[in-house]
Amino acid sequence: MRISITNFTKTFGDTTVIKDMSLEIESGEMLALLGPSGCGKSTTLFSICGIHRMNAGRLRFGDKDVTKRPPQERNVGVVFQNYALYPHMDVHANIAFPLKVRKEPRAEIDRKVLEIAALVHIEELLQRKPSQLSGGQQQRVALARALVRKPDILLLDEPLANLDAKLRLEMRSEIRRIQQQTGITAVLVTHDQVEAMSMCDRIALMNKGDIVQVCKPKEMYDNPASDFVAGFLGNPPIAFLDGIANDGEIRLANSEVALRLPSNVIDLSNGTQLRLGIRPEFFQPENDMKVTGKVSFVETQGREDLFDVTLTNGAVLRSIQSRGGDIKLGDEVTWGISREHILAFGPGGERL
Amino acid sequence: MQRSSWLGLAFLSPALIVVLLFFLMPVILTGIFAFTNMSTATGVKGGSYVLNASSLRALTDAGLPDVTRSQIESAGYRVDERGLAALAEAHGQAVAEEFSKNHAGEVFTKRRDVERALKDLSSNPIRKTRDRKAAADLFKRSILNQRYETLDAFEAALNEAGIPKPDRPLITEIAYTGWTWTTANFDLLLSLDSTWQYAKNTGIYVTFTLAFNVVFGLFLAITTFYLPAAQATAFRAIWFLPRILPPVLYIVMWRWFTWDTGFISTVLSGFGVSSKNWMLDTEYHAWVTVILINGFVGASMGMIVFSSAIRAIPASMLYASEVDGASRWQQVWYIILPQLRWPILFITSYQTMSLLTSFEYIYLSTDGGPGGSTEVWALAAFHTALNNYGGNLQYGLGATYALLLVVIGVLASLFYLRLFNFKNLLTKPRIEG
Ligand SMILES: Nc1ncnc2c1ncn2[C@@H]1O[C@H](COP(=O)(O)OP(=O)(O)OP(=O)(O)O)[C@@H](O)[C@H]1O
Ligand SMILES: [Mg+2]
Repeated sequence: MRISITNFTKTFGDTTVIKDMSLEIESGEMLALLGPSGCGKSTTLFSICGIHRMNAGRLRFGDKDVTKRPPQERNVGVVFQNYALYPHMDVHANIAFPLKVRKEPRAEIDRKVLEIAALVHIEELLQRKPSQLSGGQQQRVALARALVRKPDILLLDEPLANLDAKLRLEMRSEIRRIQQQTGITAVLVTHDQVEAMSMCDRIALMNKGDIVQVCKPKEMYDNPASDFVAGFLGNPPIAFLDGIANDGEIRLANSEVALRLPSNVIDLSNGTQLRLGIRPEFFQPENDMKVTGKVSFVETQGREDLFDVTLTNGAVLRSIQSRGGDIKLGDEVTWGISREHILAFGPGGERL
Repeated sequence: MQRSSWLGLAFLSPALIVVLLFFLMPVILTGIFAFTNMSTATGVKGGSYVLNASSLRALTDAGLPDVTRSQIESAGYRVDERGLAALAEAHGQAVAEEFSKNHAGEVFTKRRDVERALKDLSSNPIRKTRDRKAAADLFKRSILNQRYETLDAFEAALNEAGIPKPDRPLITEIAYTGWTWTTANFDLLLSLDSTWQYAKNTGIYVTFTLAFNVVFGLFLAITTFYLPAAQATAFRAIWFLPRILPPVLYIVMWRWFTWDTGFISTVLSGFGVSSKNWMLDTEYHAWVTVILINGFVGASMGMIVFSSAIRAIPASMLYASEVDGASRWQQVWYIILPQLRWPILFITSYQTMSLLTSFEYIYLSTDGGPGGSTEVWALAAFHTALNNYGGNLQYGLGATYALLLVVIGVLASLFYLRLFNFKNLLTKPRIEG
């Protein structure tokens, strides 16, 4: 079911957490709400499911306006960050709870619980108490409880945050599998860009209560709308160089070094403040636009090595390369930037 | 034991002394008193030895031979060395000698007879009646109505009166006015109908007050939980007032409320109901008042404990139940109440204990009335031991009531402790490996 949020504002007391936000989520789509801690992701999620009342704006599920509806009437399944299982009920009773409060017949409840338990692979855990489950198992139970009454919408608040790295990988594909199998519209809240990029159809990137960009993961990586987006996506992160435009080149701050600008921004007027974003994979020895600097940091990441190169003016570029070289800390290197992959941003951080 | 643990014990010793003094001693003293017949009459220190009309009756009941009895009664006035010496001192050697010659060794039952004997002396040396009476008293050897401070003095007197040796222990025992060891309190207590009435009253009192406390405390905790914070705080403060109000003030208010010229009567008289004392007019009203008074005071405690327990429930769990579709009622019934199981058990056990032994609000309001219908066990113990209308305070019997209460309390605590241990087993922390 399609979710549409228009001009949504949320305040707690005097602090405005979300201001005038609008967002469309397509039916059957899985959308990631990505952003740094405290940017309002959970607040948005809780407003969608009705736990928080919106101070202004409208929320529609399909054609239905649910802005004023209490959570009980919204038919939304939610998986909470700490799972929020009911500790005094066993797994079966936990999953059955949404059906039980609707007073569905017992046989019907049992059938549906078994069906959903099979979907999330926890059939053999039904008699246990939540305290007798591992984190991953609790996560599956929470998912089953959210899905059992066939909700129109599934909301997940950092569902993988409490799992270890291996389990996180496993549950990532598991959640995606279940979402696609059921065809449900889902919103995933996360501050982990890898999670957002690997699990979701689209990403809505939030910053300080605002959505700064909504698009497909790959497009957001290649084509960030601002330096914030560029800086948020990518690991290892993008490096920035500040400078001033001068005859199709950029003169880096506090130095004599000048670099040619990418062709799409070549006709900037002289003196414009500029910020170039260079991803580590585009700062490599074989590229042609050379800069010289000192290796100030080396990190071996298994298959690849990561280098920080400090230029003479103090700016830092990052490079990620296949292993093999014998470059050491303190070596002076002259590597090249791939000119057409440079991302240029204006003084306000906006993409040029 | 290692040195360090001795040191620890040494540091603890002040606390141990306090524990002994203020926790253990009352129980031990109660236990000791319960096995005595202490009362106002016996005093709590030692007593003296007195034979009087009632002790004579008791002696006869206890099987004292009639001969001995009449010996005690008739051991009136004996003309012996001691008496003669005293007479010589008071009225001269000559008088004494003459009296000795005529009557030495004689026993007179009545003083009048002694007086006559004195009067019959030649020349009638003691002229004034008053002096003669005093002189006759010098020969008084009766042990009736005499107070002997020590056992030795009493035994000497028995000896002097020529009471047969085999009868003396019985007489000594009954003549003793101090307290003695006895188990009679327990027999008496079990044989009294009023004891069972007290037990029944205590049952009614504890059950209904407890139910009121828990249910009303829960009601307050849950309703204030759903109120906005400021209102909830105001409500909680108001409901806490009875607990911090001095009991006397609180009861004065209730009395004013229920008096025949009080609030209820005044309001109802407007509807043509004749005024009366709404607290004490019937047994039923007395109970309702007692349970309401204690219930309101106790509910505040339940409310505080339950409120904090509810607030300890993670908010996300309540949110989860809401998005799962649970209404307020279902949320309370399925999520909140099950998580309050242990606080409820705690309040139940704690309040059982304190209600079993508490009586101050009953004492101040109905004082067990009307007609003993609200007299609970603890109040009975208090009345018997410390506040008897008759004036004879029966410390021993009162302590017996109290001791039984202590025993019941200890058994109940053991039972509840087991329940709580059971809880620990259930929620043992799970270490994930
Ligand atoms: N009940 C509340 N009262 C006051 N402020 C709140 C409340 N809930 C959230 N906030 C504030 O709103 C802002 C956004 O909170 P929110 O929980 O939505 O962040 P988030 O993006 O989910 O962060 P995280 O990734 O750490 O969970 C934060 O600054 C937070 O302090
Ligand atoms: Mg959050």
